[in-house]
Amino acid sequence: MYELLGQGILTVLQLKYLVPLFLGTLAGVVGGALPGVTITMTIIVILPFTFGLDPLQGLSAMTGVYVGGSAGGLITACLIGIPGTPSAIATTFDGFPMARKGEPGRAVWLGVWASFLGGLLGGAFLILTTGPLAAIALEFGPWEYFSLFVLAMAMVAGLAEASFVKGLIATAIGLLITVIGSDPITSVPRFAFGSAFLNDGFPFLPVLIGIFAFAQIMTDLEKLGHPKPEGTMEGAKSLSVSHLKVIGEILGRPFLLLWSTFVGIVIGVLPAIGGSAANMLAYDQAKKFSRRPEKFGTGIPEGIIASESSNNANVGGSLVTIMAFGIPGDAVTAVMLGAMTIHGIQSGPLFVVQHAGLAYGIYAAYILAHPLMVMIIGVGALFILKITSVRLAVLAPIVLVLCVIGAYALNNTMQAVYVLLLFGVVGYALVKTGFPLAPLILGLILGDQIEINLIRSIMTDDNPWLFITRPISGGLLLCALISVVLAVWQHVRHQKRMAAEADTDF
Amino acid sequence: MRRILAAVLAAGLIAGMTTSMTAPAQAQYPDRPIKMVVPWPAGGDTDNIFRPFAVELQKAIGQPVVVANVGGASGTVGEREAKNAPADGYTLFAGHDYMHLVFYAGMTDISYKDFEPICLISATPSVLTASPKTPWTDWKGLLEDAKKRPGQITVGATLGSTSHIFPALIEKAAGIKFKFVSYEGLATRMNAILGGHIDLTDSNLTQKGKVDAGLLKFIAIASEKRNSEMPTVPTLKELGLDIVFQVVRGIMVPKGAPAPVKAKLNDACGKAANQPSFAEAMKLQGTTVAYLDAARYAKFLDKMDADSKVVMTDLGLIKK
Repeated sequence: MYELLGQGILTVLQLKYLVPLFLGTLAGVVGGALPGVTITMTIIVILPFTFGLDPLQGLSAMTGVYVGGSAGGLITACLIGIPGTPSAIATTFDGFPMARKGEPGRAVWLGVWASFLGGLLGGAFLILTTGPLAAIALEFGPWEYFSLFVLAMAMVAGLAEASFVKGLIATAIGLLITVIGSDPITSVPRFAFGSAFLNDGFPFLPVLIGIFAFAQIMTDLEKLGHPKPEGTMEGAKSLSVSHLKVIGEILGRPFLLLWSTFVGIVIGVLPAIGGSAANMLAYDQAKKFSRRPEKFGTGIPEGIIASESSNNANVGGSLVTIMAFGIPGDAVTAVMLGAMTIHGIQSGPLFVVQHAGLAYGIYAAYILAHPLMVMIIGVGALFILKITSVRLAVLAPIVLVLCVIGAYALNNTMQAVYVLLLFGVVGYALVKTGFPLAPLILGLILGDQIEINLIRSIMTDDNPWLFITRPISGGLLLCALISVVLAVWQHVRHQKRMAAEADTDF
Repeated sequence: MRRILAAVLAAGLIAGMTTSMTAPAQAQYPDRPIKMVVPWPAGGDTDNIFRPFAVELQKAIGQPVVVANVGGASGTVGEREAKNAPADGYTLFAGHDYMHLVFYAGMTDISYKDFEPICLISATPSVLTASPKTPWTDWKGLLEDAKKRPGQITVGATLGSTSHIFPALIEKAAGIKFKFVSYEGLATRMNAILGGHIDLTDSNLTQKGKVDAGLLKFIAIASEKRNSEMPTVPTLKELGLDIVFQVVRGIMVPKGAPAPVKAKLNDACGKAANQPSFAEAMKLQGTTVAYLDAARYAKFLDKMDADSKVVMTDLGLIKK
């Protein structure tokens, strides 16, 4: 295994792989740092450029974007107080106050080194567990996959901030979109109304681009003209700081680092949750375990370390799910999975064994992306900060154009562009009415697979109780039930507390 | 202001690059990349056979040949995509015998007549393959068990396609009954059979490595003679079942492609299929190169279609 990893690293160190990896990481850091541009958007923009590359080149570039993006968000989070990506939200809580207190360098580099360490620990987990997990994944029959998907949907709907019901409705909308078109088993057209276009169903990536990139940018455009928060650090001239001291600060809190990393990995492994949940949860956990929870939010290092180590560890966890189970861990890995298919790779339980060179190449790219990320931020943090001051009025049209080109390049047909436009509008309407988009995307990603596995299990054995009596499947369904109950309970508690706070605070 | 200008320039540049990439065909064919639609998921046997072929074809024709895996609904999704593509030679269809079968099974209205043949490239004998978790080690054990438990032994298959028809022929010849479960393409069936979620499936000698490692069992091969790569696997004929079944694969284009384009493709296809490196790649896939040019492939298809109709009628699966 170590030999394979060594070979992988030597392979990726070749210029033909190192260049795409470097460019990907750079794009990720910049995209991550730009407020309003998410990692998903960055990876979507990069995707069409990888079509002509060989599989490992393309996947190296994407891994770079993923790693770079998870770290890049911290620059803007610390220095301007706006999270560059949702996975850096919690970094603003302590990073920005610390920077305003006159320690911008310490804030940024605490984040960078925490990302680095958390990411590498996540990488160790990725390399050590993908094989064993893939062996477990082989034991997953259609019943287990079905139940796993149900669990994923229950969890994501439960995470929705606004309301559990809206989360469930969004999931259902996602599932319904996949019902349109030929059914996946016997090719009977559904809701096609005799149209050849609808008969094929909605292609996944244009829908994803429409909903995630398009709708998001439209909402950001509404904020145009609003004043930026005061006291930003755009004038900061230097971020220099003693790196040894900063690393010492992180390593001096081993429990915090390990626990946040663990939270990040677990969230990553669970299908379709992603970095935006990981950093909030890790921050929350750090606060709960801390001896001085009241200091959180005032600019202490713990907050930055928790948030940044968890969101990079989350990347490692997500890659495990896609490589061992062939199921995307979040929207970013969903795009990566699409890219793998375009490059002719079927991920799943046999992936690591059958494509060992590629699998270890991805591990190597993941590991090497971390020093590259540190280097890029070290050299270019202030410059990147300048880029983030590019007005949204300029940035938004560029990203939109790239989105449309990306959708068109998928198949070189205009239909994909129309689908993108349609779902851009749908997504925007949903955002305006307060529906969360993540559950919708999950429903969309899993729709066909849920249906296929349900039908397969019934074709194999017509006894429906097998979903509950098969131990893994039953356990997964039980977890789904627990997560629904927990979500409902938390919402109720949250609302009560909100009501109570409203009484006392004012 | 300078920053804005630079950004606009960059966007314009990228837009310009992509338009030039997709400019309409005006010069001599081919002047841009060619897409090869493989109607099954990546990593299956069809995919594994056409990918090395795409490499050879690319050398012969002088433009990139990009494989697009468009799986789903027993291969009919990719088939429809290829049929609806412009007949300009920039979309190729990588088909096999399943097209005739799913047509008669009533799963699609598209027939082989919606395409024009370019060349036949390969033939792969089918092998009846069992999960390691099954109790039997040979055909005799399987037969006894199947007679004891009719309709209980599960077979993973792409419904209506070759992997469905091959076990169905065995059912009929041996007077037994299997239970079919939909698993599209060999790649997904391998995951299922290694985990023991299905008992049997149609595969081929591409899976030899897994048999050697004890992860799979080959029960019988559907060729005339035993294969020199796997001499221990008996033929179905030896076992008293008169079944010879192989999957042949070839390249087609949507109907109406211009004659010069077809001629160029036919020419390049012949060069590509007869490369020694292609024969070498096919050996790894348990496959022999079986080249037929466009004219002979057309006749072959007519015969194949008539045969398929007879088979589907015999098996009672016909809907058309």
